[in-house]
Amino acid sequence: MACNVMEKPRAGVINPIFTCQPAGAQFASIGIKDCIGIVHGGQGCVMFVRLIFSQHFKESFELASSSVHEEGAVFGALRRVEEGVDVLLMRYPHVKVIPIITTCSTEIIGDDIDGLVIKLNEGLLKEKYSDREVYLVPIHSPSFVGSMISGYDSAVKDIVKYFATKEEPNGKVNLFTGWVNPGDVTALKHLLKEMDIDATVLFEIEEFDSPLMPDGQHVSHGETTIEDLQSTANATASIALNRYEGGKAAQYLEQEFNVPATLGPTPIGIRNTDSFLQTLKQITGKPISPSLVKERGIAVDALTDLAHMFLAEKKVAIYGNPDLVIGLAQFCIDLEMKPVLLLLGDDNPFYVDDPRIKELKENVDWDMDIVTNADLWVMEDRIKNTGLELDLILGHSKGRFSSIDHKIPMVRVGFPTYDRAGMFRHPVVGYAGATWLAEEMANALFTDMEYKGNREWSLNVW
Amino acid sequence: MAYHEFDCSTCIPERKKHAVLKGPEETLADALPAGYLSTIPGSISERGCAYCGAKHVIGTPMKDVIHISHGPVGCTYDTWQTKRYISDNDNFQLKYTFATDMKEKHVIFGAEKLLKQNILEAFKAFPNIKRMSIYQTCASALIGDDISAIAQEVMEELPDVDIFVCNSPGFRGPSQSGGHHTICIAWLNDKVGTVEPKITSDYVINYVGEYNIQGDQEVMQDYFKRMGIQVLSTFTGNGSYDDLRAMHRAHLNVLECARSSEYLCNELRVRYGIPRLDIDGFGFEPLSASLRKVGLFFGIEDRAEEIIREETARWKPELDWYKERLHGKKVCLWPGGSKLWHWAHVIHEEMGVEVVSVYTKFGHQGDMEKGISRAEEGALAIDDPNELESLEAMYKLKPDCIFTGKRPGEFAKKIRVPYLNAHGYHNGPWKGFEGWVRFARDIYNAIYSPVHQLAMVDISKDEIPTDRGFVTRRMLSDKNLGEEVRNAPGLRQYTGKFDLIPDLRNKTAKDYPYLRQDAPEELEQQETA
Amino acid sequence: MESLMKDRIEQLVNYIMKHCLWQFHSRTWDRERQNREILTKTLEILCDESVMPEDRLDRCHWVDAVVLAESYRKHYPWINNLSTVEITSLMKGVHARIDFLTITGSLNLELTDEHY
Repeated sequence: MACNVMEKPRAGVINPIFTCQPAGAQFASIGIKDCIGIVHGGQGCVMFVRLIFSQHFKESFELASSSVHEEGAVFGALRRVEEGVDVLLMRYPHVKVIPIITTCSTEIIGDDIDGLVIKLNEGLLKEKYSDREVYLVPIHSPSFVGSMISGYDSAVKDIVKYFATKEEPNGKVNLFTGWVNPGDVTALKHLLKEMDIDATVLFEIEEFDSPLMPDGQHVSHGETTIEDLQSTANATASIALNRYEGGKAAQYLEQEFNVPATLGPTPIGIRNTDSFLQTLKQITGKPISPSLVKERGIAVDALTDLAHMFLAEKKVAIYGNPDLVIGLAQFCIDLEMKPVLLLLGDDNPFYVDDPRIKELKENVDWDMDIVTNADLWVMEDRIKNTGLELDLILGHSKGRFSSIDHKIPMVRVGFPTYDRAGMFRHPVVGYAGATWLAEEMANALFTDMEYKGNREWSLNVW
Repeated sequence: MAYHEFDCSTCIPERKKHAVLKGPEETLADALPAGYLSTIPGSISERGCAYCGAKHVIGTPMKDVIHISHGPVGCTYDTWQTKRYISDNDNFQLKYTFATDMKEKHVIFGAEKLLKQNILEAFKAFPNIKRMSIYQTCASALIGDDISAIAQEVMEELPDVDIFVCNSPGFRGPSQSGGHHTICIAWLNDKVGTVEPKITSDYVINYVGEYNIQGDQEVMQDYFKRMGIQVLSTFTGNGSYDDLRAMHRAHLNVLECARSSEYLCNELRVRYGIPRLDIDGFGFEPLSASLRKVGLFFGIEDRAEEIIREETARWKPELDWYKERLHGKKVCLWPGGSKLWHWAHVIHEEMGVEVVSVYTKFGHQGDMEKGISRAEEGALAIDDPNELESLEAMYKLKPDCIFTGKRPGEFAKKIRVPYLNAHGYHNGPWKGFEGWVRFARDIYNAIYSPVHQLAMVDISKDEIPTDRGFVTRRMLSDKNLGEEVRNAPGLRQYTGKFDLIPDLRNKTAKDYPYLRQDAPEELEQQETA
Repeated sequence: MESLMKDRIEQLVNYIMKHCLWQFHSRTWDRERQNREILTKTLEILCDESVMPEDRLDRCHWVDAVVLAESYRKHYPWINNLSTVEITSLMKGVHARIDFLTITGSLNLELTDEHY
């Protein structure tokens, strides 16, 4: 009876949990206002990432490609980026920020995008766009390193590094949310408001859940401004809620501008949200408000209704973004559930030393495997071939057939969740997120009981 | 016909040769959009890459195959679960995808060992699958791994497996179309002729360029089987790897999407003398003509006519119900390639809608020739459209509905234009007689959605009726119809099931009396190479 | 008379362009063959000559011709009243026009590619 951390026993990937780094950089890019990124590589690297964003959010986001074709792959393709920047600026007069995002192909052929940015700043931008405020941000995101998680982490750092400018202290907190949904940002801003804390939220993506307006004029995009990014250097402190998604940027600001950084915890569940509020209190000296005490009470009340009657002992497998998976596992344990399999979908060597994983190793008293560099076949192979029994799966939509084929109820959580409606609207963080998650899990189990005729009568009275 | 310049594209004047307005008294010889040219960087084109054209569009619909991409994980992940090509073997090709997961050390030292390990692991994980396709990506192409050599090595070690290699990296050509070409030619060169099939009919076809979107292939295959025709292979939707190795033994190639696979039919004609018959699986009249042609070819046209009679009697009254209500509605026909000509004329003829624009993301000039010929006067034809041009076209043309991809559908929604998925369909299949009614039904549901009507209201300015609790689609669609149309005897709304495919799959030999019932046992499929 | 002929040719050509796909095969040599074989056979059928396809490639042309001839008779009933000489001259005009639209006047740059 123990918690083991291990690597996936195969070299290849069968049903990946993550896509590659450029997708992470693109997710960061769409969080910025007046920004359209150019992905330097083949067209598929953009077209499919835009598609998956639209599958998840049911919205379209603007991202461009340098459209590298054969001659570029042979002779170098920097000319394509130059042309791309020019075309984009000509046709999108509001654009101020253009991240230039590399891919595997353009990293292998060795295109020097940093040199190109200098050249364009000195040339094209001065000559043709001297009346425009334009920022070209080089972002290296070779697909053969890390995953979309590290791609996001590095891109956020590169963007912050590019803009952060030391001025007078602004008295704000930098809040790096990590790879979250609009519903999460709303929930986080609510907590900050209740604490009366002024924060720079990176990134402001509430508008990803955008309206269909009578004037028919609306493009979905993030709202983080250049000023927001510049002033990150002048904050009182930084909190990166997700260690692996925004942590690098917080650490950069600490090293470079002495803005103290706190990494985590991901405020999933009551305990982690308490801890997040405690951090805020320590940083700002502001008290935790009575309104939050009440809000917490509503959540704890809801969880009490569910935990020991329905959720206790339920065996659960969790996959997805590392901080999300760990946070969900911690929450499940508080709900008396038994996470038995955690899948972390890339080869980040720091996972084994993550204090939260060490805590699991020290304290879990049932069999739990934490698999790094994992794919979804790790889970399905065990279900199919080695008798893994699960009551519930928590993860994103790419694993839907593991749930469907093996008739295991599943709660969609993380990115992407395209096979359920409106998941991006609901928070998993904060007290509201804890309530929503627990009730989603319970309702998934209830539906399953009814379909399978498995103690479904017990729901007559509770 | 005049070349059309978009206001948003005056600063990239080369775009002007990519759009044409079909004018009166003008012909294809007056103007034709340029096609399959290098994409303008930064234009926010909708094009994909040659890897996805090969792997995602054409390769993966093959159902009994491990599809593995040699490269970093993203290409595999990104092209997984984004299409609706189903199969009758429990959708293996939709459910499982494989990546060699190339990392930095492999980029530096080579990834051939990694590839071999991957192949062995994949066959071990799925011991019942003995066929594999390996797809090159940008990364494995640039580092120069010899995928074919590794595949050969494995085939020698594991004699019961067969592996196909497709070298179509993302940067090969201006769009996904480059990948269609590469995979067709590679399949032809490497795999066709390596299996001798079991021939069970005097009438044998390959059904080519058909990807079984929501079951299209199964609908069409049912018609062919009812005629007593053996569909030796389908390239590639619901298609079987070994059947496709035996394509050389068909008597006729029935070609649906010429854009993606005309290369294959042309070469099969040259090399094996198999004729190429282009057909339309969409629309009552074109489909009927297509079935008749296939029947005539084998001298069994009476069997085709029997099907046409039966299906038309069953479904025409339902199609006409929608036609009455879709008459004059403006649509933009904005698919990837072949549907611009499959649908351009027949949708006007049989559903009464006006096609105000056609576009193609990755088509060639040949597709535009067909599409423009079939479209009515006044249609705006656009090659390789970009986002601003699409928006400008929608503002100008004010369509009631557009048929395009999922993501462009999302920005159309924002300017309150409903969309139908031209690639994956809304509630298809849309091929076949019943399928065509389903398409009409889906268009009707999109255009006359009460929610769509609500989207047009500005509560801060408009007069709000307070006496309405709801509106039905028919309250909207029948408002201006005469009584004789509204309650026309003999016309009715769609009466089919939510899913029509299970009934097709449950059919047995008895349902196909023209097919040979006693195929001799000794006629087994034989591997010959 | 000449304008009637021209008008009729235009009707028949338009029918092909709207309903058929065989005239748009991939390369110049394909289109020359398709147009020649199918339109010649269509003419023969319209003139009630018996057409005996030689092999399966030829039979495939014949199939398209049969369906085209039927459609012509159905949609353009005046064709049934024409003499053999008139039909021959009419179809010659159709063939020339289709060749122009799909080959000699075509702006499709891929027609001359050497490979498929």
